[in-house]
Amino acid sequence: MDIFAIIVAALFADNFVLSRFLGICPFLGVSKKVNSAVGMGIAVTAVMVITCAVCYPLYVYLLVPLGLEYLEILVFILVIASLVQILEMVLKKFSPGLYSAMGIYLPLVTTNCAILGVAELVIGTVAENTEGAFHMVDVIFGHRVNMWYAYSYGSAVVSGLFYGIGFTLAIVLLAGLRQKADKLHVAKALKGFPITMLAACFMAMAFYVFTLV
Amino acid sequence: MTALYLIGQAINWAGIAIAAAIVVIVSLVLGVMILLINKYTQVKEDPRIKEVEHCLAGANCGACGYPGCSGFAKALVEGKAKLDSCGQTPTDKRIEISNILGIAVEGNTEPTIAVVGCNGGVRCRDKYDYQGYGDCVSQNLLAGGRKACEVGCMGAGSCADACPYHAIECADGYAHVDPDLCRSCGLCIQTCPKKLIKRIPASAKVYVACSTQCRGKDVMNSCQAGCIACGKCERSCPAGAIHLVNNVPIIDYSKCIHCYKCLEGCPRKCIKYVHHEDEPQPVQAEPAEQK
Repeated sequence: MDIFAIIVAALFADNFVLSRFLGICPFLGVSKKVNSAVGMGIAVTAVMVITCAVCYPLYVYLLVPLGLEYLEILVFILVIASLVQILEMVLKKFSPGLYSAMGIYLPLVTTNCAILGVAELVIGTVAENTEGAFHMVDVIFGHRVNMWYAYSYGSAVVSGLFYGIGFTLAIVLLAGLRQKADKLHVAKALKGFPITMLAACFMAMAFYVFTLV
Repeated sequence: MTALYLIGQAINWAGIAIAAAIVVIVSLVLGVMILLINKYTQVKEDPRIKEVEHCLAGANCGACGYPGCSGFAKALVEGKAKLDSCGQTPTDKRIEISNILGIAVEGNTEPTIAVVGCNGGVRCRDKYDYQGYGDCVSQNLLAGGRKACEVGCMGAGSCADACPYHAIECADGYAHVDPDLCRSCGLCIQTCPKKLIKRIPASAKVYVACSTQCRGKDVMNSCQAGCIACGKCERSCPAGAIHLVNNVPIIDYSKCIHCYKCLEGCPRKCIKYVHHEDEPQPVQAEPAEQK
């Protein structure tokens, strides 16, 4: 049941792009075509899973016992950047097809705020919240919302995976909308990027409904 | 020792040392890991690929059918592609590439440019009023476009959108190619739904700006600018370079002597100058003579 809550939260209620507004740069930059959006989404998902899988033990077994939680950003960025580099090299050697499909997006993802956001959100709250639930005050309507965070290694990896899939969902949806919008008659001032911003705004408003459930 | 106090708290030297040691150890471990894996997973790449890529035009237009210039360079080195597939690489660079690869420079290396085989535009009648999305490719889906002429340029700019060099613009209802900017990559030729755009040698001075194969009367009905296949250009050409084939004048550029007789004699003005610089003087002189 907890896993289910994590999945729903990561995909919809707590969608990284549309509720937390992290990772906007690739969200708007790489969403011109559905194909490249899918590639970007898969790369982000892969890096998020790796981030959670590696940073969790590092945080819990190294930084927390030594009382060095304040080093998390530094250590996480170091680890993520080198792991992406390693992943890229391994892909290039053992799977050239996969490398040409998503290799170009991997370096873009490395220092993306969505990745660091996952590390901070999923792992950084682990020590304080052993129950997994976390209350947050809603910005607009002011009522309390339940947020679910990882409290074990397995749930950390699963939430990393589903935050990545949530990102993929958002970017692919926007890419589809953009491709449609390109073929429509739009007011001249709104043509191109402005209509994309509007589309992203409406998607964020639609996803906001999930946080009220 | 006041200098060592920070916001009323003694500096914890041991804590700083531990933090620094952790960061150093983590980065060292990661650095050594990257080094080892890099050594272990190194992919051997032919050094010639980089050299060849350096010689190519570098526009990544994709007209050769490979993903960008790097893909084309790889195919060249592997012997899968021919150098002629790239219309943009200048001759000296071609020779350099052939030296790197040890192959002979082959084929016609005369540079080409693209021209649009239509000058009807607003002078060509519309079959119906088109109100959908403005792209030529989309318009063409609806009964072959809105122009009464089967091979009329719709002037909606699909080719201009496709051109990576911004060499095409649409004015007076049809597309114009700027011969100075055109690098003959061929993307517009692939894009145009009417197949109106063709390549001619870059040294050419005139081209036929109409592609209709209809007879004179049918052309008269639909377009005020179309070729009526009167054959005057064929007769007036002193070099015998022009022949009517299927009611379209075809210029053999290897015989053309740049005398402009075909162009001056054309009653429909559908043989045109490639370069705008060639034409203004006689046009501006005319009103002065009439006075």
